[in-house]
Amino acid sequence: MTTTLLSLSHPSWRSQLRAAYAIALKDWKTFWRYPLNAVSNVLQPIIWLTPVYFMGQAFSVNGQANGFAAYSGTADYMSFILLGTALSNFIGSVFWGMGYALKNDMDAGVLESVWLTPVPRLLLLVGRTLNSILVTAIESLGMLLVAALLFGFHPTGNVLAAFLTTVPMLLGLYGFGFAFAALVLLMREANTLVDISSFLIQLFSGSNFPVNALPRWMIPVALSIPLTYGFDAVRGWLLKTTTLLPLAWEAVILVVFMFVMLWLGSLVFHAVERSVRRKGTLGQH
Amino acid sequence: MMTTSYHSSHSLGRSNLRAELRALRAVARREWTIFIRYPSWVFALFLWPMIFPMMYIFTGRALSGPDGSGLAIFTSASGATDFIGYIAVGTTVWMWQNVVLWDVGFALRSEQMRGTLESNWLSPTWRFSYLLGHSGPQLISMALFILVSVIEFGLIFGVRLHGNPLLMLLVVLVSVPSIYGLGFAFASLVITAKEAHTFVFLVRGLVMIFCGITFPISLLPGWMQSVAMWMPQTYMIRAARAAALSNASLGELLPDLAALLGFGVFWMTAGYLLFHWMERRARQTGAIGQY
Repeated sequence: MTTTLLSLSHPSWRSQLRAAYAIALKDWKTFWRYPLNAVSNVLQPIIWLTPVYFMGQAFSVNGQANGFAAYSGTADYMSFILLGTALSNFIGSVFWGMGYALKNDMDAGVLESVWLTPVPRLLLLVGRTLNSILVTAIESLGMLLVAALLFGFHPTGNVLAAFLTTVPMLLGLYGFGFAFAALVLLMREANTLVDISSFLIQLFSGSNFPVNALPRWMIPVALSIPLTYGFDAVRGWLLKTTTLLPLAWEAVILVVFMFVMLWLGSLVFHAVERSVRRKGTLGQH
Repeated sequence: MMTTSYHSSHSLGRSNLRAELRALRAVARREWTIFIRYPSWVFALFLWPMIFPMMYIFTGRALSGPDGSGLAIFTSASGATDFIGYIAVGTTVWMWQNVVLWDVGFALRSEQMRGTLESNWLSPTWRFSYLLGHSGPQLISMALFILVSVIEFGLIFGVRLHGNPLLMLLVVLVSVPSIYGLGFAFASLVITAKEAHTFVFLVRGLVMIFCGITFPISLLPGWMQSVAMWMPQTYMIRAARAAALSNASLGELLPDLAALLGFGVFWMTAGYLLFHWMERRARQTGAIGQY
């Protein structure tokens, strides 16, 4: 009786949750099947940050990057960049979690059969990110611990406010991810797309530097990306840096971004998904 | 009848130089077809050379400060007057090595994943052709990549190359054996280690940490400088910067070019020997089709 009620053939919110859990559990098991990857993911950002650390030294006197402080309000450029890197990990995981998962299913030849299950397609996408978000949280914590030992990490502000700021930012990213997954369905190639778009968004939203250091003509691009305000607000709360706008305004922008992106992203995804189903190109890769 | 006999003389069943060249060409053609099948290569070719160095260039701008005071400190530490060119050269060498590790390094692994490696292995072809054939289109695409990089750096960042173009070309050519030799060695290890992304991350990470892609290696602690001296990319970056940005003469470049040739011989030999070791091991253990 219970089985019938929870069955995916009679969709209910409980059966949908069960489906999302099953997807996350499958990804969790697959991920830990290759434990070296977890170690690599902790060390990777450290590797990327090392040249930045030494480059920063080349611009500093007695470890103080005063030029950097004039832009950002803090001479502690490594804490600034480390925080940006941890947030970027989450941006990456939403992109990878959806776009790349679709490509994997295409290559493995299971996308069509997964598509036939009575689970909402957006839930299939969200399910693929649950594990990557959890793993990213674990890895980012590990990365910050290692980086704190190597380079120093000095957050002195309000951790709770910083955390609350990240919630609408991450949810808004799901909207981005839906639209991006639609693009993967169309182009059938994920690696380059994921790499480039994820990198560009991180670049222009100021994951490694204050956006006011960009050339003048690029600043409007940075200011038009809502994530810029997310990075800026989290740093403002945790490192007490100079923010682009008052923190309350940045919070409002992030909440609006969340609703708009979720609506827009799901709209684009449904339109493209319907189109590839009609053309019969869903299983092609 | 005549046609049949003509084909027989070139058959892969009777191995000779022409048949081997034909097989090599077939592998190269197949790889080229796969390469252009996915239009995203256009993005990779035109966008990556421009956007990857941006992260470091803009971080450098931020570190310089609005009044450029930090830049004066960087110039005195590195001796480089053009910090954008300095970073652009370093990151281009890194990207080249990175792409070769993924493309050439995963050449055999991709075949394994597609399930075609075993059947190809059974053909009476010199097996190293699979790697060499894969490297041909890769080399062409990388030559285009470097050319696009130079043009984009000039147009977007205003980087001006002051050196002798022939010497710059010489530095690139002398770097080829080291970069691709490492790729060959890597391809053989990947086929044995299977899940090898971690190894790519490790190798490219070592280049990133030790070879001074964005900073002078004199800033590194002594032990790290010693490690850097054992990596060919350190010499590539130094020689390329000297040739392109400082108008160095052949005499000034010679020590780095000699070191690069030495590394090239070492890595090509290591790549070939590792390939043979892997080939023998794969036949003995039957592991070639496993993944």
